[in-house]
Amino acid sequence: MKEYRVIPVLLVDQGRLIKTKAFSNEVYVGDPINTIKIFNDKEVDEIVVLDVTASTRGAEPDLAMIDALASECFVPLAYGGGVNTVDQARRILRLGVEKIILNTSALDRPPLIRQIGDRFGKQSVVVSIDVKKTFLGGYRVMRDRARRKTEWHPEQFAKEVESLGAGEVILTRADHEGTLQGYDVELIHRVASAVHIPVIAHGGARGMDDFVAAVRSGASAVAAGHIFVFHGPHNAVLITFPSRNELETEFFERVSDRKDDLRRSNLSA
Amino acid sequence: MIAVIDYGLGNLKAVTNMFRRIGIETCLTAEREQIEQADKLVLPGVGAFDHGIQQLRTHKLIDLLRQEVLERNKPILGICLGAQLLTRKSEEGTEEGLGFLRAECVKFRFEGEKGQLPVPHMGWSPLSVMNPGVLFANMEPPLRYYFAHSYWLKAEDETTVEAFAEYGAAFPAVIVQGRIIAAQFHPEKSHRYGMAFLKNFAERFGS
Amino acid sequence: MGVEQTKLNGPLERHRCSRCVMDDDADPAIRFDANQVCSYCREWDDLKANHVLTADRASSECKRIVGEIREAGRGKEYDCVLGISGGVDSTYLAYMAKELGLRPLVFHFDNGWNSELAVKNIENICRRLGFHLHTHVVEWDEFRDLHLAYLKASVIDIEVPTDHAINALGMLTAARIGVRFVLTGCNFATESPLPKAWVWEKMDLLNLRAIQRRYGTKRLKTLPMLGFLKGSYYQVVKRIRFIDLLNFLPYQKDRAKTTIERVLGWRDYGGKHYESIFTRFYQGYILPTKFGVDKRKAHLSSLIRTGQMTRQEALAELSKPPYAAQLLKTDREFVLKKLGLTDERFDEIMRKPRVEHDQFPSYRKAHYRYHKQLFDLIRPVTRLLKRGAAR
Repeated sequence: MKEYRVIPVLLVDQGRLIKTKAFSNEVYVGDPINTIKIFNDKEVDEIVVLDVTASTRGAEPDLAMIDALASECFVPLAYGGGVNTVDQARRILRLGVEKIILNTSALDRPPLIRQIGDRFGKQSVVVSIDVKKTFLGGYRVMRDRARRKTEWHPEQFAKEVESLGAGEVILTRADHEGTLQGYDVELIHRVASAVHIPVIAHGGARGMDDFVAAVRSGASAVAAGHIFVFHGPHNAVLITFPSRNELETEFFERVSDRKDDLRRSNLSA
Repeated sequence: MIAVIDYGLGNLKAVTNMFRRIGIETCLTAEREQIEQADKLVLPGVGAFDHGIQQLRTHKLIDLLRQEVLERNKPILGICLGAQLLTRKSEEGTEEGLGFLRAECVKFRFEGEKGQLPVPHMGWSPLSVMNPGVLFANMEPPLRYYFAHSYWLKAEDETTVEAFAEYGAAFPAVIVQGRIIAAQFHPEKSHRYGMAFLKNFAERFGS
Repeated sequence: MGVEQTKLNGPLERHRCSRCVMDDDADPAIRFDANQVCSYCREWDDLKANHVLTADRASSECKRIVGEIREAGRGKEYDCVLGISGGVDSTYLAYMAKELGLRPLVFHFDNGWNSELAVKNIENICRRLGFHLHTHVVEWDEFRDLHLAYLKASVIDIEVPTDHAINALGMLTAARIGVRFVLTGCNFATESPLPKAWVWEKMDLLNLRAIQRRYGTKRLKTLPMLGFLKGSYYQVVKRIRFIDLLNFLPYQKDRAKTTIERVLGWRDYGGKHYESIFTRFYQGYILPTKFGVDKRKAHLSSLIRTGQMTRQEALAELSKPPYAAQLLKTDREFVLKKLGLTDERFDEIMRKPRVEHDQFPSYRKAHYRYHKQLFDLIRPVTRLLKRGAAR
């Protein structure tokens, strides 16, 4: 039975853990250190921490915060937000972070991908691609917290960063994020078909069904924020994560089991 | 005291953090005196092979490690790139490895279109433990560890492989030759499995 | 008989109760009678005789209360609110609420210290009982600042902010959704009268604000607070009541644990209130080391009084250190990291001599005559508010 990584995504804004809907409408979630500790104790596969305002504020990555987070995290940790130089990457990795996630820098200073990859290994560079659909229904890579459009199509850009040495891509459908409308499987399929590096699906996950759909569309791993951080009809803040047993029976085993789809659609009929 | 070798590469603090969490004292160092006084050594590392060897050279660690490991028989645990540096050579680079381990590093290659898997291999893999020995003592299978690598360790003598993992095909996850351990996975990122492994290394291995 | 040495204060003669394990260590108010039985046992006996009901009366009282709650809640989405922490009392309460056919909105105060166990227990309660959850997350920067203020003030009851907030949140939530009942997990079976020297009144908002004003640097904006007047308004005008439902049910801790483990997948974490890492550190390290208080004595004493443990067993428990060495090290690092304190600064705080709460403005102080007179006037109401002090 093949396994797939299921990755909680934590968004921080100046040291505060927050959650957004389509990258806006910030809601306070709590202290990132305690939250990471809880996910670590739940033995999740990997954790992504994104400082969502570092680039827009022109701020340096907060090393003190990253140090505190890394010291509570005994699973792979990926950090993104405001990384512009190899030296910043080096300092962050040294604190116990496995991977550097580049978003703005991948657009503005693409050689950085190669520089970090050459120095620390391809597997330590992840490029985060935020995508929105245009009025005419085409996809565009976005920047500045998905507020401004670039000229890149996601498959093109993914190929480009792959050739520059990125180890993985996190692909986010920005307008699905936090809205519980499911992943954009069409987008996932397009990008995953265009590259040979792992593509991590992100944005809109509601649960196991979406994980299965993402992987069937070509994703190597799935990421989510909302469903691991909120619970219930009042969006109460509560950290949850599926048990290994649930992941095996509701996700991994279902991926290749086509008969399972028929069974499920019969159930709901 | 366990010395974690600081040659400027990788997620060093992750290693010392985990040792601290399990109550084992370590020092992060490249100093001759501390390395000579340590009971055991850990060579961590994330990055490219050649760069790793060059860094060891820059920090004047190659001869020191040769002395400590080959002459003074000090237990050493190599992790990920650190494990690979202990071998003779790697397809990734042109530099010679430390050569402590009778093994070499080979790139992941898969047969045919269907078998193509993404490289690097990144993710959790279960282990098939051939020889629980000391390192996997008191550990209930299934055991899972986190891997992140594009090259795998090819042992000259397969009987020195204590545990295998699988990616396309089986590959060595842990090789032990004498008091030298090469672990391809990242124990410092494999939560309780890593903690148990490192605790066994610190408290039982080579004693 | 009953005279034992204490590790905390050296080889001085100490008096320990012959029935429970309370002693006069760090407690100037304890008294012993001719049989060396302490004043807390007497207080408990008295409470039991006058306030705890026999099984029959409890059962009928329970029916009456439940009936009242259900009647008042007819046609509404929820008929009460219920506070949970992930601990055994509130979890069992939630289980019983379901059994009794109540429809609570479950609430939880997140102060940034939840352990994974607590969070998992809360998840299981909500999922398996089908309850809806409301959480209030206080801004960590604000709450950390308040923690630090209390530490710098060197007062003993550093849990006041959390306990106050939980009570306040219960009342505010009930008011917000228009219900009149706040169910809490307080109970006689596992809670004892605590030495006054060990705690302060949870609802003394004056004291909290005064400490914060003196040593804090951030305004209190997101902490749920309930002042005396506002609290009285909710209780008297809005008629919102705290109901300690477990007092009307046969509540036996071991049996309760078995039930919730089986039905809800509840996981035990050893030690009372260890769902919060700060509470574990506070009770296991700060209280004994800085204040000479071992709160385990109180918890174990209440188990003795309700026949759930023998005195011998309790003494054996007490002889063990409150904290496993490695866990203490890890917790200490974690707490200091979260609070942003260096070892030196924390040790400095730990060395500062104790300051009494009433050296800051407080509802209790005599010169707040207005409050005092009002207090005397509505004593029955304040007794309900004092519920917090029994934790």
